Amino acid sequence: MENDKKTDEQIDLFFNREISWVEFNARVLSEALDPRTPLLERLKFLSIVGSNFDEFFMVRTAGLKRQLRTGNYVRCPSGLSPSEQLDAIHDRVTDIMNSVYTCLLSDILPKLEDEGLRMLKPKQYSLAQRRFAKQLFEDSIFPVLTPVRSESGKLLSQAVNLRIHAAFLLKPYSSGNTLHETDEDEHLAIVQVPQSLDRFIFLPDKSKSYSITLIEDIIIQHAELLFPGYEIAEHIIFRLTRDADIGVDEERDEDFVEAMEEVLINRRSGFSVRLSITDTSAALKRMLQNALGLEDRDIYEHPGPLDLSSLMELVSQSGFNHLRYEEWIPARPAAIAEDIVLWDLLKQKDIMLFHPFESFLPVINLIKEASVDPGVLAIKMTLYRTSGDSPIIRALEKAAEKGKQVTVLVELKARFDEERNIEWAQRLEQAGVIVVYGIARLKVHAKALLIVRREEEGIQRYVHLGTGNYNDKTAKLYTDIGFLSSKEIYTYETSLFFNAITGYSSIPSLTKLIMAPSMLKQRLIQLIERETQRSSTENPGKITVKLNALSDPDIIKALYRASRKGVEVKLNIRGICMLVPGIEGMSKNITVISIVDRFLEHARIMYFYNGGLEEVYCSSADWMPRNLDRRVELMFPIENEPLKKRAIHILNTYFQDNCKAHKLNPDGSYTKKHPRKDGDRFRSQEALYKEIQENPSSRSTADTKEFVVRRKPPRSSS
Amino acid sequence: MSRIVAVVDVGSTAIRMVIAELLSSGNWRTLDRAGKPVPLGRDVFVSGKISRETMIQAIKILNGFRELLEGWKISLKDVRIIATSAIREARNRDTFIDRIFLRTGFKINPVEGIEENHLTYLAVQHALKGMRSQLSRSSSLIIEVGGGSTEIMLLRRAKMVAAHSLRLGTVRMEQQLLPSSGLENNMEDVLRENIRGMKEILDSELPLTRIKSFVAVGGDARKAAMEVGKKEQEHISIIRKEDFIDFINRITEYSIDDIVQKLGISYHEAEGFLPALLIYKLFITATSAEELIIPDVSIREGMLITFALGSNEAVEKQFYTQVIASAVNLGRKYHFDEGHARHVSHLGLMLFDQFQKEHGLDRHSRLILEAAAILHDIGTYVRTSGHHKHSQYLTANSELFGFSRGDMRILSNVVRYHRKATPTGSHTNYISLNREDRLKVLKLSAMLRVADALDRGHVQRIRGFTLESREEDLILRCSSQGDMSIEKYGLALKSDMFEEVFGYHVVIE
Repeated sequence: MENDKKTDEQIDLFFNREISWVEFNARVLSEALDPRTPLLERLKFLSIVGSNFDEFFMVRTAGLKRQLRTGNYVRCPSGLSPSEQLDAIHDRVTDIMNSVYTCLLSDILPKLEDEGLRMLKPKQYSLAQRRFAKQLFEDSIFPVLTPVRSESGKLLSQAVNLRIHAAFLLKPYSSGNTLHETDEDEHLAIVQVPQSLDRFIFLPDKSKSYSITLIEDIIIQHAELLFPGYEIAEHIIFRLTRDADIGVDEERDEDFVEAMEEVLINRRSGFSVRLSITDTSAALKRMLQNALGLEDRDIYEHPGPLDLSSLMELVSQSGFNHLRYEEWIPARPAAIAEDIVLWDLLKQKDIMLFHPFESFLPVINLIKEASVDPGVLAIKMTLYRTSGDSPIIRALEKAAEKGKQVTVLVELKARFDEERNIEWAQRLEQAGVIVVYGIARLKVHAKALLIVRREEEGIQRYVHLGTGNYNDKTAKLYTDIGFLSSKEIYTYETSLFFNAITGYSSIPSLTKLIMAPSMLKQRLIQLIERETQRSSTENPGKITVKLNALSDPDIIKALYRASRKGVEVKLNIRGICMLVPGIEGMSKNITVISIVDRFLEHARIMYFYNGGLEEVYCSSADWMPRNLDRRVELMFPIENEPLKKRAIHILNTYFQDNCKAHKLNPDGSYTKKHPRKDGDRFRSQEALYKEIQENPSSRSTADTKEFVVRRKPPRSSS
Repeated sequence: MSRIVAVVDVGSTAIRMVIAELLSSGNWRTLDRAGKPVPLGRDVFVSGKISRETMIQAIKILNGFRELLEGWKISLKDVRIIATSAIREARNRDTFIDRIFLRTGFKINPVEGIEENHLTYLAVQHALKGMRSQLSRSSSLIIEVGGGSTEIMLLRRAKMVAAHSLRLGTVRMEQQLLPSSGLENNMEDVLRENIRGMKEILDSELPLTRIKSFVAVGGDARKAAMEVGKKEQEHISIIRKEDFIDFINRITEYSIDDIVQKLGISYHEAEGFLPALLIYKLFITATSAEELIIPDVSIREGMLITFALGSNEAVEKQFYTQVIASAVNLGRKYHFDEGHARHVSHLGLMLFDQFQKEHGLDRHSRLILEAAAILHDIGTYVRTSGHHKHSQYLTANSELFGFSRGDMRILSNVVRYHRKATPTGSHTNYISLNREDRLKVLKLSAMLRVADALDRGHVQRIRGFTLESREEDLILRCSSQGDMSIEKYGLALKSDMFEEVFGYHVVIE
């Protein structure tokens, strides 16, 4: 056996996964920093930066710390140890968070104040506001507070993950007659800010502006009432992030729901990962840090307010519409004429939907229609994350009540959605739906819907395959591709897919659909290899891919081989990218961009030139080991020529972007693209939105107040 | 509205299901499939019985299937559940079948090995429709390697020559042959030893070197086709013989883990993969075939065809033709008087058809009569005297395509009673039949005797007749000229049984 000859200079390099992710959050921040972004949207991006970091620390940083503790790890492909990664994370996150607070405190909040939304500190209160705050504290806040005092830091074990807490350093009044006779002069006391109360308190304001203050500020202001006999020497606000990377016991099949509920309970008391803290007391900071056993690199000190994710409450404040993006209304898909029954239409052709530029409603309507259609025998679908009061869930309940067999695979392990998923899964079960609570050791991430209908000519099936969740809320915010077909090969293989994930069958061999974990990775590498082999100087290969993340070392190596063979590889990777582009002898022909704009880029589309016989695929999977090895995913080809052309067009549009695109440099940094001059501005999401809106067949006629005039635009006077 | 049916197959290595929509054309459209591994064969071929764990597993799988069937709104009457060698041979088969019925509602119907042949044949016929001309020009061998048995059929210019069911399968191999042979390392040698006898038998029926078409049925063959074959038509793949042997040489080097990884199959499938391919190899190398023809069908599709059979006369007719071809071939092996045999069969059927109202037997019994008539005299090969008894044991120990063991027991009794003594309480082969089958034997033998008598002279004088019943008499109006005294004499000797069974005195006019 001969190994591939690899010369010394051909070492495959990788970026570190965690740092690459942190860089993604930096790009989210860049949207908040962009003065062209409307003010409340900027605030929203800050809030997203905050919640992104929360998740990152709970899962990824916690994972690194666990590796560090157990000593059980292999170095990441970039060669860093867990400790080195934790240091790198600390440095970069600190930088980013500094920018976040500078942006918030010296840019966004002052501008919001100009717009009539003021965030007040207690010392800025007017007399009336002071009185209001006191009243509020006494009437509504004080009764629900549970102050806990302790000599040691033991009580910190009760600090709840991600909640806002206030800590106080208490000193007994020398004259006071306290019940506690202790040797200690100083006591630590902690109060959790109850989640039942609003974080942002609207204070009375005589002017036209809104005055807002933080609830923790009111608590601190009146804290002495909580500790009679003590003087409050120092105070601090803190927020603890705990490990949430707790696996469920996969051996428990019979009572898996219960096992999952236990995980949720355990998550509350996972080990400490990060301490976010205000900068008001060095002594308290030290006490908390010691009590929690945290290192310096786990401490993040901010001017406040902590918990940026809660800024979302302000963002969704009614009014202030001029501070938001102009509304982009999802278009009725051009392929679906207004009054047509989807059954008939799908018998004629396949349909591709591009959300949220095109509405998700046809999918919801299809499920609704199926739930009451007398010919429908069965509905099967996967649900990974769906919205709380989902019209899909309601339709499925109805279908089950109507005697149709409804099978739903609910992924209980969908991180941070577990609780919600358990709740509506049980609701579905009560309605008579066959609920499959996932698959042991694998997460079912594939997005598939199958409807079986008995028609006059015989059995007819309809399938929807997608890149995004069946969630009417996120379908308005995430870009995703949906594909509808009644073609036998797609529907038959989707049936087989459901048989496997419902437990009726072993993993089938499929010819049209490609399923992870059994085949997907192998197939992707084959597709890349084929492109590599076909590539020649005269006719170089081309691969264009849009993904959320690229971190699978084997696939990255295959892409490097492709680049070395002259294949032009264009990657549009929103988040993590471990591939190092632009390195001579390794990845010179690879470019990587990332688009971060008002819609979260989520569609996964792949294009292979294949010597002119172009192939396009869509997929629920990113190119990450977790997707390819530990999840059930589906990739499917788009073969219908017009749909294929459209998918290629979408892919290419993103590479023209010079407003919201960031280019990945060989050193791992990203450079935001800028138009050379203002007239050259090209914003991909805007362009995609406009071209769909401008397609006359896609606009709802009811909404139009203008004629669609077909003519050249009038010549400009200049 | 079209009918949707399902076939469940409880095999040696897995329980599988296919759901199909029967089309008015007599064809069908596969709607859905499911299958899960279960070690039924391993249990039975090692310990003789199905273990409790396996039974529980089977119940779980079948309950899953039931749920899937409910989604298709298929009622159990439209489901056929067949079981092959593992169940057939299990000591606790009746308990197993009963448990399954009580816990799942599925009534398992074990099929005989030779019946499997029938189902396989039907499925193969269907899949190879597009290659019929090739098959009708040359001789072919159809082989299906399963977990517990291997089914083989020989065809000469598309006519069935012989059908056999071998107790040799991938699971049985692994559990019975290899451990006892002391030759774990050379599976191929062990297999070669085991099929030597069968190869000789086949060679005597049709020289294997004349076989040009080699049809390999089974999951392992299909898997190999996905690796090294090419798709020829919708339901057919082809592997060139050299490619197939290269492929075997390649995977012989692999560990089970390698096979799992490189071919993307389960451990379960991987274990039997190489033995199965070796069995195909040992047979194809004995023939002159240059390629393996691999249809993507199984006995489940065969069962589907039997579902649709009533509505498809062509398939039915084709099948009956093959059964008889196989019977004729058996007759030739024993140098029978073909003219006489065919004629008796012709007359017997004529009687059967015209007398339908009185005997009330089904189409399948007609086929048994036809085959019994063909074979009634083969015992003369041993010795003329008492040849009916020789005919009986020869047929009882032969395999006929399309007939189950039960069918063969009836047939051999019918053959036995074509002359001399009628059944009595001391005839154990007769007594061991159930009441219904005994009645069948009586009626068919009675008719066979009459038919045989009508060609007493072995000269096929009587071409045909019409029946007329007059009170106690059944009058055969013969369309023949000349002297019929021999036939009349024969009839006088042999119509006793007919009179006994049907109450008619038979008269020739």
